[in-house]
Amino acid sequence: MMALDLIPTAFVFFAAAPILLLLPHGKARATWLLVLPALAGWQVWSLAPGAAGQVQFFGFTLELMRVDKLSRVFGLIFCLAAFIGNLYAWHVRDTVQQIAALLYAGAAIGAVFAGDLLTLFFYWEGTAIASVFLVWARRTEGAYYTGMRYLTIQIGSGVALLVGAVLFYRETGTIAFDRMTLGSPGTWLIFLSFGVKCAFPLLHNWVQDTYPAATITGTVILQSFTTKLAIYALARGFAGTEILIYIGAVMTLFPIFFAEIENDLRRVLAYSTNNQLGFMVVGIGVGTDMALNGAVSHAVAHVLFKGLLFMTVGAAMFRTGTSKASELGGLYRTMPLTTVLCLVGAAAISAFPLFSGFVTKSLIIDQTAAQHYPIIWAALVFASAGVLSHSGIKIPFFTFFAHDSGKRPKEAPAHMLLAMGLAAFLSIFIGVYPDPLYALLPYAVDFVPYTTSHVVGQLQLLCFALLAFGVLMRNGIHPPEIRGIDLDFDWTYRRFLPDVIAVVAMQTSRLWARWEQFGIGTISRMISGLYRSTGPEGRFAQTWPTGVMVLWIAILLGVTLILNFASHG
Amino acid sequence: MARKTSKRTSGKAAGKSALDKTKNKAAHRRVQRNEKLPALGRMMSWVDKPGNAGKIFWALAVVCGMLFVADFLYEKHGHFDVEHFPGFYGIYGFVMFTIIILAAKTLRIFVLRPEDYYGNKAVDREEYPADQLGKVTHDGT
Repeated sequence: MMALDLIPTAFVFFAAAPILLLLPHGKARATWLLVLPALAGWQVWSLAPGAAGQVQFFGFTLELMRVDKLSRVFGLIFCLAAFIGNLYAWHVRDTVQQIAALLYAGAAIGAVFAGDLLTLFFYWEGTAIASVFLVWARRTEGAYYTGMRYLTIQIGSGVALLVGAVLFYRETGTIAFDRMTLGSPGTWLIFLSFGVKCAFPLLHNWVQDTYPAATITGTVILQSFTTKLAIYALARGFAGTEILIYIGAVMTLFPIFFAEIENDLRRVLAYSTNNQLGFMVVGIGVGTDMALNGAVSHAVAHVLFKGLLFMTVGAAMFRTGTSKASELGGLYRTMPLTTVLCLVGAAAISAFPLFSGFVTKSLIIDQTAAQHYPIIWAALVFASAGVLSHSGIKIPFFTFFAHDSGKRPKEAPAHMLLAMGLAAFLSIFIGVYPDPLYALLPYAVDFVPYTTSHVVGQLQLLCFALLAFGVLMRNGIHPPEIRGIDLDFDWTYRRFLPDVIAVVAMQTSRLWARWEQFGIGTISRMISGLYRSTGPEGRFAQTWPTGVMVLWIAILLGVTLILNFASHG
Repeated sequence: MARKTSKRTSGKAAGKSALDKTKNKAAHRRVQRNEKLPALGRMMSWVDKPGNAGKIFWALAVVCGMLFVADFLYEKHGHFDVEHFPGFYGIYGFVMFTIIILAAKTLRIFVLRPEDYYGNKAVDREEYPADQLGKVTHDGT
């Protein structure tokens, strides 16, 4: 096992992919997909802090394994997420998805341990390329186009990172990935690149576009890595950058309304992801030790409870073929265990006391108050009520309760229940006993989540919001679930711009046709004019050829005479 | 407890007359007998019994009342003055939740489109591939 310490964790995953191909289909491969993240997790756990795995590359020193508390906690949660995701996908026999899951997890972990911007770039693009196969694995036309859109945006983010890194190197002479100050074009480009992956407002649509299009198991894996990697990168590079506070606050707010009316429950969860990332971004923007602890711990908790919610909705979809709220409802009768697990996830994301969201999110909200951002604080408390509305109520209610859809699907398969059970157990464990998680955080935690004030305040917020839901339902004011999609900013590049381009193209080709017509007409008129004068019937033709010859000789002689006279005169 | 209860407020059929009530209850029992549900599912189907949605709602209302009263019984700690106002979080939660729902409902008027709006370039109008599903009903049909 000594040898394992010397291998960068990402390479463990990459090496596992060819080995997977050698194994027979079925349980052997599925088991390998569980053993591997466990092995990698153990490796990360036992890593000593410091830098290792330095490689020379065209005169640059690449640092493949920078191990400190920040990278370690993300490395650990990524290994755990890979384990849970692969357990959930135990039944999948699709080699493409299995390899993609391995490489994707490996790339994400590699990026987290990258000590320089060049290494980060390689892994950054690696996550994009590996993960798109989880969308394409659905093998439908819509999934193909969605994957292309996703890939374009993700690769674009990588290109921005590379250009940013080059400019940053020219400014500073270093490619080390450490805390930066926004200002120069290089740092702004790097910031933008992180922002795309973190789904900043107006850059966010790839999340809602892609997550509902991936395979059932693919979505669970997708949701764990890319956006959390972006959170890590922001925490590493831009902690304390004030603009992040405002970006994050907007992120917490606007998805609430879309999530509330969206019919596809996996897309509701995608909007919910935006909203939760917003809390983390605010924490990074505030930038105090405790706010960063909040952002990191909330990322860890989010991987678990959002994974759990995606898994429960996925299980309902696995059994019924749909994740649309209008088609679901009343599934608790025959899927009671999945229902209970979904309620645990809903309670955790809503931050009920004794669940993980409560002990992580409050670190962030408390810091916005302590650092005197009253408006941001009010926005985050508002957003907390919003989380309850779409993830706390809507997801479990419209999937498993509400009107009876008449569907009587079988309970989720045992391996799915196990994966969901593990995520649910950890979501409760962290909520009840947060100390082990707090111990993993980058800074010493000086915060007590369970005070009377805080518990009663939070319970009031949530229970009164639930009461409001009850009042609105009883009075028929709550919007019903209807089939359809909701337009968002991606309308601009999926519909508006293509339409504009189509109109411009049509007008241009019409103009061109007219111009061509005009040009051809002019030329043919010229030719026929020439034909008229020099053709067989033309005036010139009447004296042709001797007459014309005499004329030209006369002219040439005349010119020669004049030139001769002029030169000697 | 409070959270599970709330899930159930949709059944508006809190029986109008005594006759209706008995009828509904009988129908509910009939449905239950015909469907062999898992034990946990059968227990949970309590929430769909006529009248129970109302019970859950009022239980939640009582919990809210108690939480409001609790605010007078301990010393509040908060960074802002407004947090010391009794029932601040409750009122904020209730009002904001209502605003969210009403605003979202309004938003829907402008942004709702049919599922095939983006045509073949999106998955919304597609069926999920059947070969990737484990579509089984609970009684194996």
